[in-house]
This record gives sequence, C-alpha cells and structure tokens, in this order.
Amino acid sequence: MKNTTRNPGTAMGLDVGTSRIVMAQRSGEEYQYDSQLNAFVAIPYAKLTEGVLQKEEVPYTVRGSEIIVHGNESEKFAELLNTETRRTMTRGVLDAKEPEGLAVIRQLITALAGPAKEKQKLFFTVPAASLGAEENLTYHEATVRQILAELGYEAKSINEGLAVVYAEMESSNFSGVGISCGGGLCNVCLAYLSVPVLSFSIPKAGDYIDSSAAQVTGERSNRIRLAKEDSFHFNGFFTDKIHQVLGVYYDEVIHGLVAGMKQAFANSRTMPKLSRPIPLVLSGGTAVPEGFRDRFEKILGENEFPIQISEIRMAANPLTTSAKGALVAALSDL
Amino acid sequence: MTVQVTPSSPGEAHLVEWRARRIEDPVERLRYLRRSTSGDSSRGTAGAAKRRLHIFHKYLRGVAPSLLYVLVLLPAPTPSSTMDTERWEQAVQSPFGNPAREVYPAIWQVEKTGGYEVYSNGLRIEDQYATSNRPRALYPVFGRMPVEDPTFAWRSGVAGIVFHTTESHMLPFQAEQNQDLQRLGKNLLAVVRQNRSYHFVIDRFGRVFRVVQESDAANHAGESVWADATGTYVNLNDSFLGVAVEAETERGTDPQPSASPAQIHALRVLTEMLRSKYRIPASNCVTHAQVSVNPDNMRIGYHTDWAGNFPFAAVGLQDNYAMPPASLYAFGFEYDPAFVKSTGARVWKGLLLAEEQMREQAAARGMTVAKYRIALQQRFRQIHAALRNGNPEEKQS
Repeated sequence: MKNTTRNPGTAMGLDVGTSRIVMAQRSGEEYQYDSQLNAFVAIPYAKLTEGVLQKEEVPYTVRGSEIIVHGNESEKFAELLNTETRRTMTRGVLDAKEPEGLAVIRQLITALAGPAKEKQKLFFTVPAASLGAEENLTYHEATVRQILAELGYEAKSINEGLAVVYAEMESSNFSGVGISCGGGLCNVCLAYLSVPVLSFSIPKAGDYIDSSAAQVTGERSNRIRLAKEDSFHFNGFFTDKIHQVLGVYYDEVIHGLVAGMKQAFANSRTMPKLSRPIPLVLSGGTAVPEGFRDRFEKILGENEFPIQISEIRMAANPLTTSAKGALVAALSDL
Repeated sequence: MTVQVTPSSPGEAHLVEWRARRIEDPVERLRYLRRSTSGDSSRGTAGAAKRRLHIFHKYLRGVAPSLLYVLVLLPAPTPSSTMDTERWEQAVQSPFGNPAREVYPAIWQVEKTGGYEVYSNGLRIEDQYATSNRPRALYPVFGRMPVEDPTFAWRSGVAGIVFHTTESHMLPFQAEQNQDLQRLGKNLLAVVRQNRSYHFVIDRFGRVFRVVQESDAANHAGESVWADATGTYVNLNDSFLGVAVEAETERGTDPQPSASPAQIHALRVLTEMLRSKYRIPASNCVTHAQVSVNPDNMRIGYHTDWAGNFPFAAVGLQDNYAMPPASLYAFGFEYDPAFVKSTGARVWKGLLLAEEQMREQAAARGMTVAKYRIALQQRFRQIHAALRNGNPEEKQS
C-alpha cells in the first residue's frame, strides 16, 4: 500500500561512473535522467576563449592560468584541440593522481543534482571491490558522500551491480545477476529477493578496450571510444582495423568477466539455494554495441556455469540503468 | 568481493516471495522485500535492521483500524450440540492436518510408585510436588469462524499442550553452581505448586515434575486463543495442559533455543506420552506466545515465552510457528513491533498467513480489512464477556 505522505519527487539516484555521471529522478510515474561526461579538458586561459565559452553557455571553471571545460562539452573541445580528455576517476574510483579530479567531480555533481531540498534522499552508486584484490573504496565513497552532504542530501551508497538488479528485475522479485559494464569496471552482483548475496568487479572494461585498441592502432583513446560507441557491432566481420582490434579486446573483456563470475560463484560459500533459474541483465555503456548480449551468451555457454540462468537480456536503457536502480533504492527507502 | 547475508530459510523465502508478487508497484515491492529480508543496499547503516523490522511490522499490519467503524449485529453465543465444521472448512482453507490421519506415539506407563512414574519411552515423572486444583471443567469450542457462527459445543478432555518458560532467575549452568541451581529449582517448584501455574515443570537438569494433576485445570493460559480443524478455543486453562521449562526466553530476530539438551529430551518424551494418552494432534502443541492475547488492547503476545525459539523439530513436532494464529484471523487481534521483535522470523510465517487469510475473508465479504477487523473484535468481546460471566472465579494467567 502506498503511504501518501511519501513524495517520490524528493528522492534521487546518482550513478557515479568512471565515464559518465547520470542523475535519475521520478516525476509522477516517469523516470527522468540527466547525464554529464565525467571528463574534462584544460585549455590555456584567454579572455577571448572565456568570452566564447560564456556566449556558447559551455560550463567551465577558471583555475589559475587554465580554463577547465568539464562534462559533455569536454569531448568536443578535446577533439578540437586534438588532445585527450582527462578523467576524475579511474577503475571506478576517484583518481588520486589527477589534481583537478576532486574539483571537477564536485562541479559535475553539483551541476546535475543541485542543492538538496529539505532532507532529500539520494542514493549514489559505488563499485564493488575487484575480484581477488583488496581495494580500498572508502576514500572514493566518503568523498562523494561528503560532496552530496555539503549539497544537503541524505546520501547513501548502493552497489552498482545491485542497482542494475533494482532497476531491471522487478519481475523476478529482485533476484538475479545484475552486470554493469562501464568505463573502468564491470560490476557484478548476484541478489536474492533484493538481498545482495555476492558482489565484485572485474577491472577490465571500456577504458581497457579503448586504451589497448589505441595502443595497437596508434589512435587516441577518445577517437577509439567514439568509434566504439558510434559504429562498432559484433557481427564477426570488421570493415576496418579499429573495429577488428575492438573486437579482439571486447572478447578479452567478456572472457575475463565470465571467468571471474564463474570463479566467484563457484567459490562462494554463501550462495542461496535457488529454487528456479534466475535472470541475468547486462547494462552500462560498454555493453551497448549491437551483438554484445549474443557474444556474452555464447562465451557464457562455452563455460560450465555454477548457477542456472533463465535468460540473458540487455537492460531497457543500458546507459541509465544504474541511476534508475539507485533511484528505486532511494524511493524504497522513503 | 563483498558477501552479504542471505535472506532466510527456503520456506520463509518462499513465503516472502509469494507475498511480494502480490505487490504491483515495483518500489513498494522492493521496499517490502528489503524490509522482510536482511537486504540493505547501503553500507554501514547500523540500526537499519531494527528500523526495517519495525517498518516491516507496520507493512504487515496493513491499514490501521480507523476510528470509523461499522458494527455488525451478531447474535449472542448459544449452546448447540452440533457444529457446522463443513462451513468453516469452506470459509477458510484448513492449515491443520487431518486429525483422523494423525499418527500418535504408543507410550504406556511402566511403573508408578509413591514418588515417581516411569513410561515406556524413558520418561520419568517426579511426583513429590503434585497437587490438585479445581477439576477440569467443560469448555466451549466455537466454530472456526465465530463471527459467522453463533453456536458452540461443550467439550471436555485435553485438546492440546501449551509450552511455557518459567522466566525465573537463571544461574550459569555450571558444576560449581550446582547447590544454588538445585535450591532455585526447588523454590521455583514451590511457587508453581502454590499458584497451580502448570501441570508439569522441567527443571534445569531435565527432570520432569508433576505439579497440577492432569485431571485438574492449571492457571497457565487464561487469556488465550487457539484453533484446530474442529474449532476455536478461547481460554485454554481447561482445554490445554501447561508444560513449563525452567528457562528464560531468548529474544531477537534469530533466537536460539532456551532449553538445554536435557530439557529438550524431557520435553520430547513428556510430549510423546501426553500425545499418546490424550490423542493430541501435533498442531495443538503450541507455545504460550502463540496463544496469549490481551483483550484490553486487542493485541496478541501478552506473554512472549517461547516466542520464536521453541525447538519443535527436536521435540518431535511440526513447526507450529508457521500456523496462523486464530486470534488474528478469527478475532481480529493485532500485534505491535515489540512482539514481532521478540518473536523472530519463524513466527512471521504464521502472522503473514493469518493477515492474508483475514484480507481474503474481508474481500469475500466486500468489507475493508479495518471494518472486518472491528466486526471480529466485537465478536471476541461478546464471547469473552460471556465466558467471564460463566466462570466468575476465572484467574488470568
């Protein structure tokens, strides 16, 4: 039954990804999204440049002798200036080596979420620790939480893979495997009746594909990423070298993901006794290319998998799935 | 790699899953699931489990009774020699076993002396504290749905067993405490004997003591309700035997059995003997917390001994915590967060079933749950008042 005192409009979901930051809100029965590239370029300061940016309403900040253009416009500028965009995050967490990282991610989150209304709840995604690694995610999580707290939010974190389950697996009572293949990581979560039973990440994802392909082809990673998002598809026949190389590294990522899942599920001592096969949902920008699902299913089928999967499907909107899941979690927490 | 707690036992998970499927709104469904399981997407939220439990309770309870109410005019209870059990079975699908098909243990008395009795299953009953009380009286058994059926039947004999804990002072169960353990046990038995509190007491060492004679009523479950396939019992002092374990109830969401292995063994052999002697169905062997009600505030669980940790399986019984309490579905009693907190997950199955049953009954009559609950409670008050008038010297347990 619905509690009429709850206002769904007051909850927010924020997917803080290595590549993109996506904000989700609900308006009536509709989910609304806004996103920014989690990237920036630094260009030398000139009054003329600043004037152009103001005129074109491009978000920027001046830092000393540089103008920092962040978010969605950064890619365009990088292309114009023939340079690489810089990232605030690497492998799913804040990049400690990037001096501008904290300032830029604060700008991006502020631009997307804005100041909170009174006691507004916000769930933000965090990655799971990498399989077999003792990664410390505390700094990343605490920093994002602090940014949100300064904006006035009652912020809680949610595992990115679990967010996929919450966004997509209502029909199976939130039981299943949610996978988010992003820029820095592939996050995996097995949930049973909404409870995260097992979650982990694989440190090879979109950025690994981009940088590996860039190395081999001599192209910039930005360009590889654009090629990957615009025209790459898994059909076994590649018209140019970039696509051929992308296919090789995609295969490597999928093989690594499947092997990691197999190892994690087989070694887990806390697996619930599942009475029926469960669904598996793929999401995230790296899973967007046409044919990804089929390729994943084929590679999964080549391996003896420890749990029975009822279906493998793509999320309805892979780029906003995690943000939606975070929002659903926030709404259910009201 | 993060590994979190798995939700529950398969049986409970199945029930939660079934219930969740009936919630259409995905957010509401997730809210229900997160609060009925140990799921929490956020990290490090200490106290979240308590909060979830509280909200889960509120969810289960559904719409609180409003101030508006509709009184359903119901006839006062009148004696009848026949009971329309068929109608009750049609009205509510029976969660009870078929008593005719029940297998009863075959236990006989081997020896009886002035001080003890021995039975064929190894049970030994100490008789030195045995005493008498008022003889067991005829008691009324109402229909399975008393709100629809004004009749009741008079019966005699033992219909079931209520398991209690003495909730008395517990010393550490250690050899060096032996003298004090014995002293406390004797003091307890003296008090129980004086108050005619139970028929049997099992002390810390697993010894079974007879207190009130089986032919007499003990003051162990005055304000109480239970139902079986044949009808609904109100005030179980005359119809059910009281068996108490010298123990304190463990509370919480995952309470451990309060009884020691010796006490559990004693419970098993005593229960076998009583079931054999009186042909007691397994579903009528229940705990005090399951049957106890408070008519003043119309809530169940006035007493919470054996609230969620009775070792039914070890005692040779089915898990009766999964049974829907008749106090809820037949008389519209409610429960508060404290009860849910003290019971643990095992009782939720029964509570969920009872809530669901009541919702279905209300829907079948075209009534809201709140209005239907008021009608059920009205019926209980009529019966309760009639019983009070008929048994003026009745003591509340």
